[in-house]
Amino acid sequence: MTDHKTSKEQKYDRQLRLWGDHGQEALENAHVCLINATATGTEILKNLVLPGIGAFTIVDGHKVHWPANHCLVFNRAQAATELLQELNSDVSGNFVEESPDKLLDNDPEFFHRFSLVIGVQLPESTCLRLGSVLWDAGVTFLVCRTYGLIGYMRLIVKEHTVIESHPDNALEDLRLDQPFTELKHHIESYDLDSMAKKDHSHTPWIIVVAKYLEKWYSEHNSQLPKNYKEKEAFRQLIREGILTNENGKPEDEENFEEAIKNVNTALNPTKVPSATEDIFNAEQCENITSQSPSFWVMAQGVRDFVRNEGNGKLPVRGTIPDMIADSDKFIKLQNVYRDKAMKDAAVVSKHVEALLQSVGKPPESISEQKIKLFCKNAAFLRVVHCRSLAEEYSMDTFNKDEITSCMDSTDSEMVLYLMLHSVDRFYQQHSRYPGVYNYQVEEDINNLKLCVNSLLQEYSLNVNVKDDYIHEFCRYGAAEPHTVAAFLGGSAAQEAIKIITHQFVPFNNTFLYNAMSQTSATFQL
Amino acid sequence: MAQLVGPLRKELADSLSSCRVLVVGAGGIGCELLKNLVLTGFKNIEVIDLDTIDVSNLNRQFLFQKKHVGKSKAQVAKESVLRFCPSANITAYHDSIMNPDYNVEFFRNFQLVMNALDNRAARNHVNRMCLAADIPLIESGTAGYLGQVTVIKKGQTECYECQPKPTQKTFPGCTIRNTPSEPIHCIVWAKYLFNQLFGEEDADQEVSPDTADPEVAWNPADAAARATASNKDGDIKRVSTKEWARSTGYDPVKLFNKLFKDDIMYLLTMDKLWKKRKAPLPLDWTEIHQLGVFGYIENYVKTLRSQLIEKGEGAELVWDKDDPPAMDFVTAAANLRMNVFSMNMKSRFDVKSMAGNIIPAIATTNAVIAGLIVLEALKTLNSDFDQCRTIFLNKQPNPRKKLLVPCALDPPNPNCFVCASKPEVTVKLNVHKTIVQALQDKILKEKLGMVAPDVQIEDGKGTILISSEEGETEANNNKFLSDFGIRNGSRLQADDFLQDYTLLVNLIHSEELEKDVEFEVVGDAPDKAPAPNVPEEGKNIANGNKDSAQPSTSSKAAEDDDVLIVDSDEEPSSSTMETSPESSNRKRKHHDADTDDAASKRKRLDQQPADDDEDIIALD
Repeated sequence: MTDHKTSKEQKYDRQLRLWGDHGQEALENAHVCLINATATGTEILKNLVLPGIGAFTIVDGHKVHWPANHCLVFNRAQAATELLQELNSDVSGNFVEESPDKLLDNDPEFFHRFSLVIGVQLPESTCLRLGSVLWDAGVTFLVCRTYGLIGYMRLIVKEHTVIESHPDNALEDLRLDQPFTELKHHIESYDLDSMAKKDHSHTPWIIVVAKYLEKWYSEHNSQLPKNYKEKEAFRQLIREGILTNENGKPEDEENFEEAIKNVNTALNPTKVPSATEDIFNAEQCENITSQSPSFWVMAQGVRDFVRNEGNGKLPVRGTIPDMIADSDKFIKLQNVYRDKAMKDAAVVSKHVEALLQSVGKPPESISEQKIKLFCKNAAFLRVVHCRSLAEEYSMDTFNKDEITSCMDSTDSEMVLYLMLHSVDRFYQQHSRYPGVYNYQVEEDINNLKLCVNSLLQEYSLNVNVKDDYIHEFCRYGAAEPHTVAAFLGGSAAQEAIKIITHQFVPFNNTFLYNAMSQTSATFQL
Repeated sequence: MAQLVGPLRKELADSLSSCRVLVVGAGGIGCELLKNLVLTGFKNIEVIDLDTIDVSNLNRQFLFQKKHVGKSKAQVAKESVLRFCPSANITAYHDSIMNPDYNVEFFRNFQLVMNALDNRAARNHVNRMCLAADIPLIESGTAGYLGQVTVIKKGQTECYECQPKPTQKTFPGCTIRNTPSEPIHCIVWAKYLFNQLFGEEDADQEVSPDTADPEVAWNPADAAARATASNKDGDIKRVSTKEWARSTGYDPVKLFNKLFKDDIMYLLTMDKLWKKRKAPLPLDWTEIHQLGVFGYIENYVKTLRSQLIEKGEGAELVWDKDDPPAMDFVTAAANLRMNVFSMNMKSRFDVKSMAGNIIPAIATTNAVIAGLIVLEALKTLNSDFDQCRTIFLNKQPNPRKKLLVPCALDPPNPNCFVCASKPEVTVKLNVHKTIVQALQDKILKEKLGMVAPDVQIEDGKGTILISSEEGETEANNNKFLSDFGIRNGSRLQADDFLQDYTLLVNLIHSEELEKDVEFEVVGDAPDKAPAPNVPEEGKNIANGNKDSAQPSTSSKAAEDDDVLIVDSDEEPSSSTMETSPESSNRKRKHHDADTDDAASKRKRLDQQPADDDEDIIALD
């Protein structure tokens, strides 16, 4: 057992450093359904099987030929499952040799069991039908398509919550503007004026800023330095605190330099970020039931903390950046923040417990550890709402503004979106995509042009689609070039991992890739 | 298969099946790339990789399975590809691309070379070989969620070495040996210790107190104290650490007492060091069991010792972060030293990350990048160099909603010390203190990327200073440059026959180099202003996936891991540069004028790495 664990740790070492053990656990508990094991589909699944997804099921009614021998015919679902399973024995692979349309006719509930359904190279009608079944069942749906040199993804999820959004440039949570009691006491334990030089230059910059802030308050009506000029004056105040040597020259005190450098971010007023505030005000946070996902139970727990014990502030995050200081002083300061964070999290836990009890659930149904993680990330919580496919397609609700404003700029990737719609329209009329057969290309160009025009007319879109795109899309002949499929396979699997692990923020809701110009864009449609 | 070449013009589709391409590296990117190449219709592929398969490759290198662990990457990759594409004609080499067998003639066999490498030395080398053979090169790299691809064509684009790459952080010897202030210093020390005890000894990897520390500045009174103190460890100083350890039978208690008690007490006698610093606290063997798991160092030493004995007389162990006893030993030793210097101890997981320069690596990023490489390859084969791009892959769509940021290729840097028509470089050093060996190993090979340099002095006589033929100039190795009449303003001509590369080295003599700095590369040529010291952000090719066991073991190879991918979100020029080449040129100029801004950004990024897992810490 432990051997198995260490060998897994070794195998997955390089990715555990990105999403952690708990991310890996989420991945291993997930069951993903892939519809159509085409080049794009198998690429996506390969990129999920390698990092160790729990299970996959391929739904595909097509047959394939072995390239070297056309008499050897396989069911694509089975062949792909067997080959993909070779890549990782930890993964359980299943297949259903049926078309998604048939499954939707006979057993639409089949799809309810999955953590995520990935639909690849689906005709528009199947896509919309499946989209509505999954939307109603609350199953996340990722649509992927390689069309010639164009890649397309659409994410459809009613609500996706993210605790660990891994923001790039997060501000530290230092509370220097509103120090909590323990921090105040700790700051008081320092007296910069009576310190030996060695201690003076090894005092963490957080303390330095806090000390000079007191001084500043006494001269400025207890108001924080706000604008550039005041902050500059505050920096000068700190600068004057640098010790001087016997010749009156300032000593080399790197901790003071650090303090001066950090003035800007350190004095950022502590407040609840608007994204978190929105979450507190959301309906799901208001009405907790026994069915509520743990995210919302914890969100209410934190909200109750903010509105009561926290006096309007989030639980303390409990981490501080690295800084110049001797280890002893640094660790003491770090502990002040850490202990406060633990205390705050414990209070949140009490709220969560009470909430759980009030809806008849055992208090241990949300672990202490999870609550701590939630508190630590309280400033970075994210909830993603995607629009449904029905909304995107409906005459009343389609996003006309986004489409027309994007089409104002030449060669916006939006034109690719309109072209994909147009080839779908072509498919409806001709039961095949344009340009599939060389001898029909000329004829198809005209027909596709008609499709483009009727699409624009129907949606009253007053935009111009260049003929070049119509020619280009006919030239594609709905091919699925491998290298585009490989790109999309990587990108789609990456989004799938974000969704499954609930870490990082997935795109919302349409992604387009142009392999010709190597450009990409995301749109909300 | 025919359908897949549908969107390609017929001539291009035909040329795919007739052309011959070289893939350098069969790791994370290499596996994906080989698959994409054969499925796009490439038929004649040669692949080279010196590495063997490790368990930690299996989360992304899909051509390999558990049963292949320990086998040649290139060979297994070839076999796996042939299983799904039997008609491909693949040649595999289990070898280093820097081996002289792969000369310019070899490179001329190909229409295109694609790098899928993980280290800078090999990237520099392939860059030079492709320039010499005038073969287009596609360069790529990934690190975690980030990646990039670019195209290099002699005379038309920047080469890999046109822009200075940020050098990795190095630590002065006395910081490692005397005054560590961060956990990384202790981890580097522990890796040195491993090599000193069990591996290849290297004079640059000393672990004992450094009495030559300029900060110490002994005065006569101190010298007396030092003499007394050094008597205590008696003979230890005179024999190598390894020999001494062997003579004690690798007795864990003796080892421990020397490293964590006696050496530390000796350091304490260098009291100048501790005037401004917190002094270290010697450890006591009987107390270390209270330090929890790090007390098990005894067992790790025993395990490693028996490994050494198993290998036979004169054998050496090679440090490998994926080898549990070696990793456990370094974790324990580093943490003990952190304890001595009052630092917060680090988990094994974190130590592994720092000691192994681990760059997180996942299947998805490699798949994306390998897809992009083939598209650039198609344009390159079509000679559409103006259509080729440098492409950056972001972690998530940037504020302008772009996941990919394509940039037009820049023209060659006329002052590049590699691809200029008459390459020159200026090096500042102390001719009285620099020996020929250091010129060869540290400057010409390590810094300037040569493999086997021949050097003659431009003194009118053409005195041969260094010959790549074995045995010809060995006698010069330990002599100082000044012994050969080299002084300020001397010029050396360095040739690398394999790379077909000649470099003129202008020397500036200086007595005022910073402590622990042996030399400085100051610019291309003395009459030109030093090259701007601001590397273009986002322009650095990532060194991806450095997780092969072997190369990261020696300190020389480990330096290759210095990835510093800068998130191109941050970068004003590249994030606004995706439409026409015209507009990107304009942006580029704008950016150039804006170097101050770029410099401050770089500085900020360097100083405050985001608290992400994918920050890469490079060491020694």
